[in-house]
Amino acid sequence: MSEIASLRPLAAVLLPALGILAIVASQRRPNIREGFTILTALATFGTVASLVPSALSGATHVSRLGTFVPGIELTLRADPLGMIFALLASALWLVTSFYSIGYMRGLDEHSQTRYFAAFAGSVGAALGVAFASNLVALYIFYELLTVATYPLVAHDESEKARAAGRKYLTYTFGGGVAVLAGTVLLFWTTGTVAFTPGGIAALATADPVIARAAFALLAGGFGVKAALIPVHSWLPDAMVAPTPVSGLLHAVAVVKSGVFGIARVVLDVFGPETVADLGVGLPLAAVAAVTILVSSVIALRQDNLKRRLAYSTISQLSYIVLGLGLLSPAALIGGLLHIPAHAFMKLTLFFCAGAIHVETHTDDISEMAGIGKRMPLTMAAFGVASVGMAGLPLVAGFVSKWYLLIGSLDNGTAIFALVLLTSGLLNIGYFWPIVYQAFFQTAEDSDAKPLVEFPIGGARVRTDGGERAEDRDDDAEEAAGEPEAAEAAAGAGDVPIDTAEPVDPEIDPDVTPSEEEGDVEIDARIESEGQYAVDRNPSDHLQEDAPGAVDGESDGERDDEDEASLSDAGSDGHADVHGGPSGWERRGFGEESTWFMLGPITVAAAGAVALGLLPRGMVFLALVQRVVAEATGVVF
Amino acid sequence: MIDVLASRGYFLVGFLLMGIGTYMLIGSDNLVKKVIGMNVFQTGIFLFFVTSAFVSGASPPLLSASPPYVSPLPHVLILTAIVVGVSLTAVALALVVRIYEAYGTLDEDTIREVRLND
Amino acid sequence: MTDAIALLVAVPIVFALFPIAFGGRWEHMGWGTAALGALVHLGLSLTVAATVLSGGRFTYAVGGYTPPFGIELVGDGVSAVLVVLTSLVTVAVVAYARRAGPHSNTFYSELLVLTAGISGVFVTGDVFNLYVFIEITGLATYALVATGRGPAAALASLKYLLVGTVGASLYLLGVGYLYVATGTLNMADLASQLSSVGYGSPLVLTGFGLIVVGLAVKAALFPLHTWQPGAYAESPDSVTAYISALVSTAAAYALFRIIYAVFTPAFDAAVPFALDALVILASVSVVVGSVLAVLQSDLKRMLAYSSVAQFGLIVAGFAIANATAVTGGLVHLIGHAVMKAGLFVGVGALAGVAGGRTVDDFAGLAERAPLVSAAFAVLAFALVGVPPAIGFAGKWHIVLGAVEGGRWGVALVAVVSTLLTLAYFARVVERMYFRDAPAPAEESVAAAADGGDAELASDGGSDGDGDASGAASDAGAEPETISMTARIIVVGAAVAAVGVGLVATDLIAVFEPVLEVYF
Repeated sequence: MSEIASLRPLAAVLLPALGILAIVASQRRPNIREGFTILTALATFGTVASLVPSALSGATHVSRLGTFVPGIELTLRADPLGMIFALLASALWLVTSFYSIGYMRGLDEHSQTRYFAAFAGSVGAALGVAFASNLVALYIFYELLTVATYPLVAHDESEKARAAGRKYLTYTFGGGVAVLAGTVLLFWTTGTVAFTPGGIAALATADPVIARAAFALLAGGFGVKAALIPVHSWLPDAMVAPTPVSGLLHAVAVVKSGVFGIARVVLDVFGPETVADLGVGLPLAAVAAVTILVSSVIALRQDNLKRRLAYSTISQLSYIVLGLGLLSPAALIGGLLHIPAHAFMKLTLFFCAGAIHVETHTDDISEMAGIGKRMPLTMAAFGVASVGMAGLPLVAGFVSKWYLLIGSLDNGTAIFALVLLTSGLLNIGYFWPIVYQAFFQTAEDSDAKPLVEFPIGGARVRTDGGERAEDRDDDAEEAAGEPEAAEAAAGAGDVPIDTAEPVDPEIDPDVTPSEEEGDVEIDARIESEGQYAVDRNPSDHLQEDAPGAVDGESDGERDDEDEASLSDAGSDGHADVHGGPSGWERRGFGEESTWFMLGPITVAAAGAVALGLLPRGMVFLALVQRVVAEATGVVF
Repeated sequence: MIDVLASRGYFLVGFLLMGIGTYMLIGSDNLVKKVIGMNVFQTGIFLFFVTSAFVSGASPPLLSASPPYVSPLPHVLILTAIVVGVSLTAVALALVVRIYEAYGTLDEDTIREVRLND
Repeated sequence: MTDAIALLVAVPIVFALFPIAFGGRWEHMGWGTAALGALVHLGLSLTVAATVLSGGRFTYAVGGYTPPFGIELVGDGVSAVLVVLTSLVTVAVVAYARRAGPHSNTFYSELLVLTAGISGVFVTGDVFNLYVFIEITGLATYALVATGRGPAAALASLKYLLVGTVGASLYLLGVGYLYVATGTLNMADLASQLSSVGYGSPLVLTGFGLIVVGLAVKAALFPLHTWQPGAYAESPDSVTAYISALVSTAAAYALFRIIYAVFTPAFDAAVPFALDALVILASVSVVVGSVLAVLQSDLKRMLAYSSVAQFGLIVAGFAIANATAVTGGLVHLIGHAVMKAGLFVGVGALAGVAGGRTVDDFAGLAERAPLVSAAFAVLAFALVGVPPAIGFAGKWHIVLGAVEGGRWGVALVAVVSTLLTLAYFARVVERMYFRDAPAPAEESVAAAADGGDAELASDGGSDGDGDASGAASDAGAEPETISMTARIIVVGAAVAAVGVGLVATDLIAVFEPVLEVYF
């Protein structure tokens, strides 16, 4: 691997810093300020993209910035692994910048200058993480990333946002402290902390106790940002941040920097062989597997869409860590490929959530029945991304999952393959209902969301002999919809009133699901939550006190739906007849929101599909294969 | 024991003075007494130094006298230290005057109560 | 011109006489004299630094009397850097005090005397001379602390005086023991004499113990720190900035010299228990100082307890006794001085805008004073240890040195101290940026809260500042605006903290010759 001394890695990190200056300087002219953001993002992406060919060919660009502390140089190197992350971060920053403009203006948010400047700083720090050539340089940018993202997490300045910001700082600085401790141990043992593909040679012969301690500290420290259980709980709380922040930073930059750190540790510091020798790969994979399953189950119970996406992120990130822990070449490829794959898909999902929030101020899944009518393009993209998250073919998630499955079978640890497949099912379990109810249901005939409502551990017993004798099931069958009148009203009434918090599945066994009570509860809910779309679009059936007994089958027509693949069998046609409890107005494809938001959604979804169809063509797979080849010597 | 006292008696007196001074610093409530205690403490140290300079059977450090001489260096050092001590006492007493003018009392406990009630 | 090193002490004293002598005649000559004196001092210290950088370590015999009979002044890498630091801090504080500080002539005289005393501590090569300069420093500090408003300042000063004198006297007693053991007071000479006397002798050990305790009082290590919070909190802002940057620094430096120039690492090899005990004391100081800092609501007290913790870290670095850790201690010594001075000037400036000095008073301050708030945030994160600022460089070396020396406890404490420091600084930064101001102020556009780049603040903040002060005077909420000097100082400190952190290796290169001699 030859090196070319060049300014481009440095430029890639500095351009966002310059962007901060430009953004702050133009704070009084929002359009110019936004223009600077776009310009900087474009320039950064261009710089990073220009480094791809040489990274692929083995000639890496290096910017040497001198010695930082004796024995450790501050160098930025554009090697293949770094390029994966850098390319991802800079490309998605460009997309997110447009989205941010639409989002912030759509909500007329405060402190936009601080927001855009901190965003630029965060991406610059992320690029520094990507290009760092040794653990200390990575640590520097890692901490800077924390500092730069803190203002974004606490952006809202509400009590909740501040608490989330504090929690974020505590967790991430704690992780940073562990990384520092591990780095010091490493430096002391081997005299170097530079990233060497295949691992630092001296570590193979170092004292195993110290090596394991260093690995544990490093993996644990990076694992905080990678949201491994049990240090994951900052991530759901950080969802209080504006959605572009949740999207780019907490699904792409911050968490990917944690995973990237683990990747560096496994591939370039210890090396797959040493990791296997030390026996620390399997514990890492085990933690990842637990994270995958547990967070998927928790996701099933979340009603707030962003929180559900947060737990989904936690789960998906551990796919990557699982791949890194399994150590076989195929697993490594799968894990590393999932970095960009997940990024595109998750970003699409978050963009959709944000668009929904801006346009309709709806945050909870239980209120999104029938929203496909109001936001067809958005929900279509959501559907596409969900398909990918579950690992179904044609979308990005499938390729990485395929490699992961092969890798876990290669290793002889078939249990991880089982974990992956189960996770796929759980993914379907928590995404499919959202998509289905968006297009094929309306509020009064929708089932209670989220799905898992009963107290885990037992069916509830109704003392009244129960009209509602059936319990809720937690699989996809349920989503097929049972639009029967009594159940529907009761179902609506069973939805917990306080939906701002994660759903607590307490069901009052004394509720006799008569229609009157169902209506009363709907009324009460609307009164107490005036800010929801239900209020702004009060439905006919409430005013008329209709029993809501209309079947979903009445109007099968959809004026503007021209998506054959998603055309419904018909249960959302209430638009004009009685509108449904949330009277979503019908919007045309592309008329539902500004193109600042729809454009990025489309691009991200298209990216996810493209990654699924042409992984090599999208460059990422080629980079990944190169990384794994260098690290393990195996060309897959 | 007795010969320790006999031969190193002066050192012991020095330490005794340091102890008395420390007790006054900590134990007395009156601010002026604390300053006095500080002085006594320092005096103990000075005595220690001066005693250490003594050589038994030696003559004063004069050119007209014959060697061996008592070492003059510690005396010089202690002169400096005494001057430092005097300046410290002066500053301390100036502060005490100012405190008295503000609080009307020199009793440490009373002052603390007054400050808590402020 | 090697006389510069002696003039470093003499010139400020001479300059200090003028305001006292002629103050009756010319009312406001104090500031001018102090400014001139500070500039001359800066020139002298730069001369000394240049001499050291080009020629290496040099010594100067005061009055022509050769050591070990005469007093010797030593200029080497460490003392040169510290003397330059002294000059810079003096210049900054004099500039800041023009608007902020006490304006009496006597204040400026005392400040110059303090400068002389501190310079003396940094350059002297004789242990008794060190006592004299420590006492001069102390006297001037007591007087300066007492210039604060109200009798509380006098009380704090008296407490400082009593405790500090006991400390200095213990130091003197320790010197006495060493003198009795060896018959010499010159540091270099003591080193050879002590090894021939034998490090295990009770005289030597007691001497070491007394000296260390005495200097620990002056450096405010737990549990001898009790004078510090009151002294810092009650003194005027300019004074706090100066003494936090330099006075405890001088004591810690003295500790460094005593341990390495006088006792040498051979002592540690012979009697490891001595430095071990110091390490433990220092580590406890780190933890306790940080915990106490978290409990404070008054910002100056909080920063005072923070100093207790930071000096614990520095002394731990010195006591670990290998080259890496000592390097870390020295780097952190300098870095801490810069950062703390900047933080205190920042607190003084921001308190004027906020109308109070508690953490809650600082709510929403970032909108009203964006530039200084940003610089404050940068300094706070630098002290926490976010790279590439200098706080990180010092910590890195200390932790590395601790690991090399097998002292896992210290390494753990040093690493955890990051989190503890974060605990008390994050509160303040959060209040400043993410809470609304108590009085309704115009929503002026806020500058970026990102702490990594201080240049951004100076570019983007000027408009914001104009807005902020305009907004403030429009709203009529705060009468005070921040002087340009204060802004320059705080932003300069922030830039320096990051900048010196980036060139930390060069700084370490300056220290290396000194440490090679010792190790």
